[in-house]
Amino acid sequence: MKNWKKIAEASQLPIPEPDLDRITPSLDALEAAFRPLTKDIPDDVEPAVSFFVFPERAE
Amino acid sequence: MTILEAAAALRKRSVSSAELTEAALTSVRELNPKFNAFITVLEDAARAQAKAADAELSKGTDRGPLHGVPIAVKDVFETRGVLTTCGSALFKDNIPTRDAAVVEKLAAAGAVLIGKTGMHELAYGITSNNPHFGTIRNPRDPDRIPGGSSGGSGAAVASEMVFMAMGTDTGGSIRIPAAFCGTVGLKPTSGRVSRYGVMPLDFSLDHMGPLARSVRDAAVTLQTLAGFDPRDETSSREAVDSYVPADGSSIRGVRIGLPENFYFDRLDPEVDAAVRRMAKNAESLGAHVVPVRVPDIASLNAVGRVILLAEASAVVEKYAGRRDQFGADVMALIDQGRLVAATDYINAQRLRRVMQRNFAQLWRRVDCLFTPTTPMGAPRIGETTVQLGDQTEDVRLASTRLVRGINVLGLPALSMPCGVDRRKLPLSLQIVGRPFDEALVLRVGAALENAGSGA
Repeated sequence: MKNWKKIAEASQLPIPEPDLDRITPSLDALEAAFRPLTKDIPDDVEPAVSFFVFPERAE
Repeated sequence: MTILEAAAALRKRSVSSAELTEAALTSVRELNPKFNAFITVLEDAARAQAKAADAELSKGTDRGPLHGVPIAVKDVFETRGVLTTCGSALFKDNIPTRDAAVVEKLAAAGAVLIGKTGMHELAYGITSNNPHFGTIRNPRDPDRIPGGSSGGSGAAVASEMVFMAMGTDTGGSIRIPAAFCGTVGLKPTSGRVSRYGVMPLDFSLDHMGPLARSVRDAAVTLQTLAGFDPRDETSSREAVDSYVPADGSSIRGVRIGLPENFYFDRLDPEVDAAVRRMAKNAESLGAHVVPVRVPDIASLNAVGRVILLAEASAVVEKYAGRRDQFGADVMALIDQGRLVAATDYINAQRLRRVMQRNFAQLWRRVDCLFTPTTPMGAPRIGETTVQLGDQTEDVRLASTRLVRGINVLGLPALSMPCGVDRRKLPLSLQIVGRPFDEALVLRVGAALENAGSGA
């Protein structure tokens, strides 16, 4: 798992240690769910950063 | 009484807008101390709007079904010259200089704005237990949460203070309070209703829509609000449909997908039974219920959480140093978002594209999906976990589990009551449709409601 405290420190985020302790389990759980998904993204897929719904893709 | 019934009564002169408005204000005075649904009540302005509506209607100027009808908007919609807090201490004195597009359109339709409803702080949570403006309570059981983040809108509609209240939905924030309070809630397709003038929680997941007393009232509201707005970069030019189902509209032949995976896992058994009963009712009205397997919604939810954490933290980054002005739960989410790597955010948006394509395959087989809106009825205020079967689940994650993914996909979704549980708490059906096919979703919902299924 990632060391969230070190990441916060390196990013110079002034998050108090007790608050970091409180959010660590949530971040770990999300990391465990999300990380495996990134391994299979096809190379040519672009991000939906500007998100539009394309009705033609309904069919 | 519904919006359409009030509209008919106004045109028959059996009631005036002034009378409806006075009744709404009386109801707010009596009930708001108990439920805390409103942050701001606009008594004088509402009376003036009602008087103007009566004058116009008597002269034959008819702005449509919302003309003269008392409504409310969540305190995230900017209102020119009127306090708009977003449920946050950061904005406790914020007086906008413009109206949100939604507020403009409701005013143009002649609706009477009774006030601004309370909400979960910054629209970032589902309890509406607000540390700055107080706890909002569920009219069905005041010891329970109304859901959120549009909790004040849910409470205001469920307690019949107003006919309709606008909400916003980033991960279920219209549909969850609709479910917990026993109202109808509609999250339109991304781009269908303008986001202009709405204080954002998130750039790519926010949606605007009504909480209402009936499916047709939600449809009437969408008809008023839908359309392209050049001031919102994600606003769609897709043609606006006719959303209000005609009396007796048929759903014969409509293909309803009933998921075999994910959506019926870890539910209160009464929720499971109620939603399946709705599918049976639809079948008895001539619809075809088709068992389907849906793409991986758990992964879709994980993608949605990465996007929301990163985008919401970006929105409030400039305020994040004022830690004492945030509630603990919201600060914790903001801190989490600040720790999301840029590469993870971008990959979440790439996965969103992949999943949107995968999900689109489903529409070859069905016209809409039936799912529960929430896995259980409203939790008690202060509860942090719920027991579902043999598993204990975080209240926030459980409440958003069946709705969050639909925001990631941008699809239209309607929540409507489908009975009550052993504690008399409302249960809710979610109907999810193709992009921009709100008309079908509303037609199916109205048919079920007509058949008495929405009680």
